[in-house]
Amino acid sequence: MAERTAVLGVGQTKYQTTRGDVSLPGLVREAAYRALEDAEVGWDDIDAVVVGKAPDFFEGVMQPELFLAEALGAVGKPLLRVHTAGSVGGSTAVVAASLVQAGIHRRVLTLGFEKQSESNATWALSLPQPFSVSINAGAGGYFSPIIRQYMARTNAPELIGCMVAFKDRQHALRNPYAHLQQQDLTFDQVVESPMLWEPIRFSETCPSSDGACAIVLGDEAAGDASTKPVAWIHGAALRSEANNFPGRDEVNPQASRDCADDVFAQAGITDRRAEIDEVEIYVPFSWYEPMWLESLGFCEIGDGWKLVEDGATHLDGGDLPVNCSGGVLSSNPIGASGMIRFAEAALQVRGMAGDHQVDGARKSFGHAYGGGAQYYAMWIVGADKPTS
Amino acid sequence: MAERLRADLVLEYPFTRTTGPVIGAFLTGLREGIVLGIRRPDGTVLCPPTEYDPETSAPLTELVEVGPGGELVSWTWVDPPRSQSPWDQPHGLGMIRLDGADTPMVHGLLVGGPDELSVGMRVTVRWRSEREGHIADLEGFVPEGAGQ
Repeated sequence: MAERTAVLGVGQTKYQTTRGDVSLPGLVREAAYRALEDAEVGWDDIDAVVVGKAPDFFEGVMQPELFLAEALGAVGKPLLRVHTAGSVGGSTAVVAASLVQAGIHRRVLTLGFEKQSESNATWALSLPQPFSVSINAGAGGYFSPIIRQYMARTNAPELIGCMVAFKDRQHALRNPYAHLQQQDLTFDQVVESPMLWEPIRFSETCPSSDGACAIVLGDEAAGDASTKPVAWIHGAALRSEANNFPGRDEVNPQASRDCADDVFAQAGITDRRAEIDEVEIYVPFSWYEPMWLESLGFCEIGDGWKLVEDGATHLDGGDLPVNCSGGVLSSNPIGASGMIRFAEAALQVRGMAGDHQVDGARKSFGHAYGGGAQYYAMWIVGADKPTS
Repeated sequence: MAERLRADLVLEYPFTRTTGPVIGAFLTGLREGIVLGIRRPDGTVLCPPTEYDPETSAPLTELVEVGPGGELVSWTWVDPPRSQSPWDQPHGLGMIRLDGADTPMVHGLLVGGPDELSVGMRVTVRWRSEREGHIADLEGFVPEGAGQ
């Protein structure tokens, strides 16, 4: 049986357009230090460090994990880097957790980061290659036709995406770390914002952020010894698939369904909507909220948009609050974005999510996806120890 | 055999940098014509400075002026320089431990030939007249007493 593993501490930086006051080492240090403080441990208590970020080309620093070793207290310790495109923050947390679950390390520091102000994220993601067969359309250009496919399949009303965007921006106002703090934003302003790639409007896309997020993971003894509430990992899973093959369902990819089935089975959850109290899913474009709700089995296929329309995913009054932190739509330091979902899920079951806390949350779900909706990372955390 | 296709690929992005309080101070110092190191908790001084201690990861904040003279710890000779070298004339590359520092930094040795270099010799900074806060503001090192 795997070693029971807990989130002992979480550290985040305030997400914003430009952190002009700190270097890259200074930025990651801030998140790492806050996670150690939250976990009430010191650098010497950490046995290994696992770092994730989006492609090296973002900041133009090759193998940044080596350059950041001193800032992360990793000197003399195992230090490794995970890379799975946009899902990397989630994958990194899963890899770090596996080092504890396997009984290899007692406490592991894991961290995701991006300093988008020092890069060109839209185009550095997909570098042109000589004689490549794919066109470089950017993320929005790639995902919009898939979203239209979803709309056609489900007859979803046109403004569902705007409802998601407006809801996440309202949630962000309750999270002091969230980048976008649009106090006066109205739903009509979302609808009237410029159309970029139909049906995606400007206000339905994520911002570019500087930021880092860190998590300290510990084994069962470390979790038991914590004076603060910890979040126990009930399941963690990774899946990936090619982005183009005959019969691929781009709207609801096989890897997404398989990853979800795996993680819910690990957690012993049968009624996903009823048993999960809060959901942090990776939604860089608004329509991915209903699409993922269906793919993840929180509702029947074709019903995702109805949860949005009914307000089921809103922190106020919804039975399945989604992205209470404001989500990727409100903060997007790409390499950290997946880990933020995982960290926020942990904060919810620890009862430490502040103004965006879901009352009495006992189990929550963290999710990240990357590439052409190819790479998936998910975990389920609970306030109680897993029984199996 | 099929023809092999060939294409030039030039990737270019406008990266920007925030240097932070330590590297930023070092670069500003160069612009002002001084070299800064940073003191570690055990009293030793790193030059060039780092934000975090290379052994303990402790944050480092105490900047100290070092040099401009120092000792040549080791060296090599480069003739002719490669096209991307910062120097267009034959030159040395040396590890120079500046006075007050406990670590050497690598930089150019601006002398006429390898006969003029030896381990343990005293060298000193030669500054460029126009400085902009860049490691190349420090044009290189010359034997002490050789004139700037």
